[in-house]
Amino acid sequence: MKISFNWLKEYIDLSGIEVQEVIDKITLAGLEIEEVVDQSKMFENFVIGHVKEVKKHPNADKLHLCVVFDGVNDLKIVCGAPNVAENQKVVVAKIGAVIPENSFEISKAKIRGEESFGMLCSERELNLSANHDGILVLDNAVEAGITAAEAIGLNDVIIEVAITPNRQDTLSHLGFARDIAAIFNRPVKFPSIEIEEINEESSSLASVEILDSDLCPRYVGKVVKNVVIKESPEWLKTRLKSIGLRPINNVVDVTNFVMHEVGQPLHAFDLDYLSGNKIVVKKAGDQKSFITLDSKKRELQSDDLLICDDEKAVAVAGVMGGENSEVTANTKNILIESAFFNPSSVRKTAKKLGLQTDASYRFERGTDPEITIWAAKRTAQLIQLTAGGEICNGEIDTYPVKFELKKVELRFERISKILGYDVPNEKVIEIISNLGFEIISKNIESITVTIPIRRHDVEREIDLIEEVARIYGYEKIPDIERVKVTLEPKFDETAFENSVRESLNGLGFYEIITNSLLSESVANRFGNSIGVLNPQNMDMSNLRTSLIPGMLTTISRNLKVKENNLQLFEIGKVFNKKDDTIKSFADFSEESMLLSVLTGKSIDTEWYSKDINYDYYDLKGYAYQFLKSVTEKDIVHSYNSESNLLFEYFTKLKLDDVELGVIGKLNDELISGYDIDQPVYAFIFNLENLSNIPAEDKKFRELLKYPKVYRDLAFVIDINITHNEVLESIRNGSSKLLHSIKLFDIFQSESLGEGKKSLAFQLEYFDESRTLTEDEVEKDFKNVIKNVEKKFNAKLRG
Amino acid sequence: MEQRIIEIGESFTKELVIVKNSIDLENIRIKYLGRNGLLSQLFEDFKSLPKEEKPKFGQTLNVLKNDLQNKFDAKFNEVSANEKSEKSFVDFTLPGKTKSKGSKHILIQTLDEIKNIFKGLGFSVATGPELESDYNNFEALNFPADHPARDMQDTFFVNSDFLLRTHTSPVQIRTMQKYDPPIRIIIPGKVYRNEAVSMKSYCLFHQVEGLYVDKDVTFAELKGTLVSFAKQLYGNDIQYRFRASFFPFTEPSAEMDIWWQPAGKEGRWLEILGCGMVDPNVLKNVGIDPEVYSGYAFGMGVERMAMRKYGINDIRNYFDNDKRFLEQF
Repeated sequence: MKISFNWLKEYIDLSGIEVQEVIDKITLAGLEIEEVVDQSKMFENFVIGHVKEVKKHPNADKLHLCVVFDGVNDLKIVCGAPNVAENQKVVVAKIGAVIPENSFEISKAKIRGEESFGMLCSERELNLSANHDGILVLDNAVEAGITAAEAIGLNDVIIEVAITPNRQDTLSHLGFARDIAAIFNRPVKFPSIEIEEINEESSSLASVEILDSDLCPRYVGKVVKNVVIKESPEWLKTRLKSIGLRPINNVVDVTNFVMHEVGQPLHAFDLDYLSGNKIVVKKAGDQKSFITLDSKKRELQSDDLLICDDEKAVAVAGVMGGENSEVTANTKNILIESAFFNPSSVRKTAKKLGLQTDASYRFERGTDPEITIWAAKRTAQLIQLTAGGEICNGEIDTYPVKFELKKVELRFERISKILGYDVPNEKVIEIISNLGFEIISKNIESITVTIPIRRHDVEREIDLIEEVARIYGYEKIPDIERVKVTLEPKFDETAFENSVRESLNGLGFYEIITNSLLSESVANRFGNSIGVLNPQNMDMSNLRTSLIPGMLTTISRNLKVKENNLQLFEIGKVFNKKDDTIKSFADFSEESMLLSVLTGKSIDTEWYSKDINYDYYDLKGYAYQFLKSVTEKDIVHSYNSESNLLFEYFTKLKLDDVELGVIGKLNDELISGYDIDQPVYAFIFNLENLSNIPAEDKKFRELLKYPKVYRDLAFVIDINITHNEVLESIRNGSSKLLHSIKLFDIFQSESLGEGKKSLAFQLEYFDESRTLTEDEVEKDFKNVIKNVEKKFNAKLRG
Repeated sequence: MEQRIIEIGESFTKELVIVKNSIDLENIRIKYLGRNGLLSQLFEDFKSLPKEEKPKFGQTLNVLKNDLQNKFDAKFNEVSANEKSEKSFVDFTLPGKTKSKGSKHILIQTLDEIKNIFKGLGFSVATGPELESDYNNFEALNFPADHPARDMQDTFFVNSDFLLRTHTSPVQIRTMQKYDPPIRIIIPGKVYRNEAVSMKSYCLFHQVEGLYVDKDVTFAELKGTLVSFAKQLYGNDIQYRFRASFFPFTEPSAEMDIWWQPAGKEGRWLEILGCGMVDPNVLKNVGIDPEVYSGYAFGMGVERMAMRKYGINDIRNYFDNDKRFLEQF
């Protein structure tokens, strides 16, 4: 919403207060200023000039060489306007001026060989009107050298205000003035509406019937006869244009003016087009559509509130009038509508129609039913002023159930209890009265006030405390230096996720964050996804069921910029439907997952090594190292060589029958869909399950006091015998002196024979209570050899 | 037997002479001196000799074994010494061997920073679901149905009762339902807004919310706490102001601005957070008596904070996850 300072000054005396101070103070009081346009600043370098001399341009028929006195110097200016003449007073755009019409900056120029030090302006170039027939010529009494802004009254300051949804009462110049009045402790001046009315009663010329009074608690009508529709006078057009409205005709302009003056949306019907001279306010019911005054057909629903006459609908209540009854050039008799509509009803209708108007914007925030009569009279007054005619006596006022004024008690002690500082009682009373709340009783501890209906946001003591605080000024609240310590048990529900992050960072993984919204087909590929009713677009219509798509998109994007070696993870929520309709939290799951991937090379063009690709074993190592940071318990893993939707092969990890996650190589078909042409290894863990693993009580183990004995051996065995099988066989052949077995070499070569491989192990022996003898280790070791040889038909090497 | 002893001794010597490195040397060890090596075989065969021949060969064999071992040891020392000296030139200017650094996402790092400041002020950390009920996200927080206040937050709806949370404030409700005052928490998390993706906005962002409910909690304390926070985050010499504002779940409400003056640009007031005293309706909705208890709440967006701090001008950078971006933090 735009507010014009010149307009504002009609209602409040701002003398002695700088515009900037007003802006600063109202900003702090909660009216957010988005933009300030100081017109006089826009007309910097525009001055009034006196044309001293006009000659023909030697090289161009239509151009003139002028000498213009700007109050200080004589400027040579080339001018093309046909009406330029000596002794005129004109607006000169000097070098550096920026033309409002087109943002063109004036600089010194050579036009057909003649130097020019400025430009003489037309009305259009100054954004004053569409007139571009010639330059603007001012009254000769204007003095050369004064600023153009001063000479032509372009000295307004226009502010764009963002009004929070609770403060509909400030959606007008008078409403705005009321807050300023409270801040600066100055009175608000309401315009006087003394009008001369003819004897004929408004109610004898039209009637109003409200069928749905809950949706329309008050409807005021007033009739003005025999008007002449024409262009509005300058003062009215200037007001409207200053706040960005386009003047239409005197009657429509007056309704807009009064709305921006006092906040009451108004509508003017052509009374002669109202069948039966009657207004009926009722729900649309069976009526399916309606043509609004912008000539568009609007689909209606039965609950939408309409303004009708005897036969037909004439307006969508509170939103927009109809084409069939709008004021036209031929209109003679006017019915002014000044009503109060139910805010949520107007909001629903406007939303459904996708039609937000200045009127609906105000009605849906709640207007003031008590201002309707005043606004109708004011409108009649200004219609008569601009369109002539006769104002009929009185108003048709249909107000079946009066609003009751709310009464609220404000305890002084409560103010300091909430704010933490004292506002002097007399200051409280001053602020409350300046805002227009009426104090009906007062004692040493509290005041009781009635709340004007226009303040829909004020209904409780706390709301009055806010009023006091914001007008008194938040800056007056002291910056306290200490706060209380409370000793309730502390917790951190992000601690586990953070430890996961830190563990993976230590292993070299970078964290990513991807969009939780995916297309329906992608989301459904990995689960039973939940759709959004109102997505931005179809690529972001469903909640993710897996972190995989976001990760693959990320890898793909990186490959395109030649970032081929990636070690990434994401922690995020995934969502799955359990039931087709979601009625409770039990009908869907929201789980916290971890996805980590490796792709590309672990060593890429380094001096100390040949290139090494990431492989399954890198990932398995990282996964186990990561798991070690979470639990020391034995994880059961089951290997699966069959591919599924996600993996070419994978290993499932379980602890006590709870599935923790999987490690594997992603399916080629899956990744090639993302233009990824290098293997991707991934592990996925369910973080809830991981975090639920009970922490073990760590106990110190006594350090070994006796030496360990190591024995190495290597077997040649069939290639398809697994490491685990050999381990098991070694363990079976050993006594409890054997504590660990470490594979330290694995290779295949022709010399070993076809289908053979060599595995080399280091065995570690010790006893916690004594030193072992050579003989007993040797005996144990020989048993191992025998056992493995026998079981796998293995051959001992070296 | 005698012949084999001589042959083995000779071939061992011959092969040993040409050995240049420790790998070849190890192969010779396995071939001659290993567990299944030629020497072991000789000793195996020795066991099957007639008893009268044993003394003679026994001695020769032991001589051979000692001989081979001595020669091997000598060669071993020579080879290792050579290998050592070859490596003795260290080029200190060679690049070191490095591994991937790894890092938390910059948004998480920023969240951590905020979290740590508030933990230092005695706050706990609570979390909650992203798919929320309309009740927790709006109604319990004093947003009436069909009220324009709901337009302040463009919402992704799943149906009329469920939605993607538009702020972390529903966790206020969840926490107040679970615990009795004093409650002093911050709530970091993802929130969603139904806005077109552009340089300045994304369909999701991260928020940190704060809540303190206790006896005698005041606006002055809220202000003091947030000033302390802002100074820790932005520096002790910041200029700040509190402006009146509107949030349905706080009353009075305010926004905190700091004066922002990037190098070479015009300074301006910059909103960093919204805050206020918990609205009595919210306390009533969770069964806390507003006459006995009061509270404050505040909330801030993490993306914007990190954008300012690091000079990131396009919010989409956070969610594109280009490695060149990730590696910078």
